Amino acid sequence: MEGFGTKILFEIPILGGIPLTETVVNTWIIMAILTIFAVFATRRFDKIPRGIQNVVEAIVDVINKFTAQTMGEDKKGFSAYMGTLFLFLLLANLFGLFGLRPPTADLNTTFALAIMTFLIIHTNGVRRKGAKKYLKGFLEPFPAMLPLNIIGELALPISLAFRLFGNIIGGVIIVGLLYGGLASLSGMLGITFIPVLQAAIPVVFHLYFDLFAGVLQTFIFVMLSMVFISMAMD
Amino acid sequence: MQPLVGINWDFVFQIINTIIIFLVLKKFLFKPVTEFMENRRKTIEDSIKVAENKNREVDGLKAEYQSKLDSIKEERNEMIKEASKRADQRGEEIIKKAELEAKKIIDKANLDIERERQKALNELKDQMSELVIMAASKIVEKELDKNQHDAMIKEFIKEVGEAKWQN
Repeated sequence: MEGFGTKILFEIPILGGIPLTETVVNTWIIMAILTIFAVFATRRFDKIPRGIQNVVEAIVDVINKFTAQTMGEDKKGFSAYMGTLFLFLLLANLFGLFGLRPPTADLNTTFALAIMTFLIIHTNGVRRKGAKKYLKGFLEPFPAMLPLNIIGELALPISLAFRLFGNIIGGVIIVGLLYGGLASLSGMLGITFIPVLQAAIPVVFHLYFDLFAGVLQTFIFVMLSMVFISMAMD
Repeated sequence: MQPLVGINWDFVFQIINTIIIFLVLKKFLFKPVTEFMENRRKTIEDSIKVAENKNREVDGLKAEYQSKLDSIKEERNEMIKEASKRADQRGEEIIKKAELEAKKIIDKANLDIERERQKALNELKDQMSELVIMAASKIVEKELDKNQHDAMIKEFIKEVGEAKWQN
């Protein structure tokens, strides 16, 4: 079990040592990529779109339309958060393709995102419905359901976080085991300095676990966040 | 190495990271691009509206000019018709006047001819009566009273002459 935990790259020597893990550093890399993309792609915007501007407009337009369609015209304002979630998760889940550890293969990341969604759900629920009507919602359909309703609400971020984490860490573990196995198989064949069997075989696994599962889980996470938030507000 | 499943400092980092990347992407990507596209949509909408208004205006002007042109054509046709009518009238008038004048001249000429003829006739009658008297007096040898005979002969000639000259 311990072998697939996140590596500590550095330790900040305050508060008894705060560890900087692979997860955080890879998240910073993703943040840097997204920031550079956002700043440079939107720097020279022309009335007639050309080149990269088409791509940027298409991305933003798709996210805006998808948000408006899923959450309703009146909750279009969430498109920036949902778009951020989508772009960040997409890059994070695809990080395995570059041989780096996806930040979403750490429960801290997925749980942080799920908790944000949880907070958005409940603050907007209170704001939209008013505190009284919001609290009354926990007594629906009859007051005895109160504990179940509370458990249901608390289960939401946990399921959201573990679904994403489980899918990605599963892929990481399987691909990691595969690489290890292929390396030792290569060794058994007598080739010790280059693990030749690692050359083409992992492609299929990367395609499934990183590309397919990664994109799908991104979509599911964003979609569920949208649905839960809009449900809490309606 | 951190444990595979567990909450630690990373959780705090990731919350902060998420908020930061959200703010950055909102400020640099989603807000400006959405606004830009919205503005462009509005601009296009406006230009289409302006073009439509101009088209409508042009159509109105065209109809106006067409009607003006039509009325001008009509007026022209009317003017031509009237002018030709007037010309016809005038020509007829002139012809009528000319005919009248010609008739007058002819009448006058006829009258003159008649008068001349009468004059010539009277003269002839006078001369003839004298000649007859002269001849008669030669024959009768001054036996007759000149005045009496003269009247008699004149009467005779008149009767004869009228009957004869008229044939």
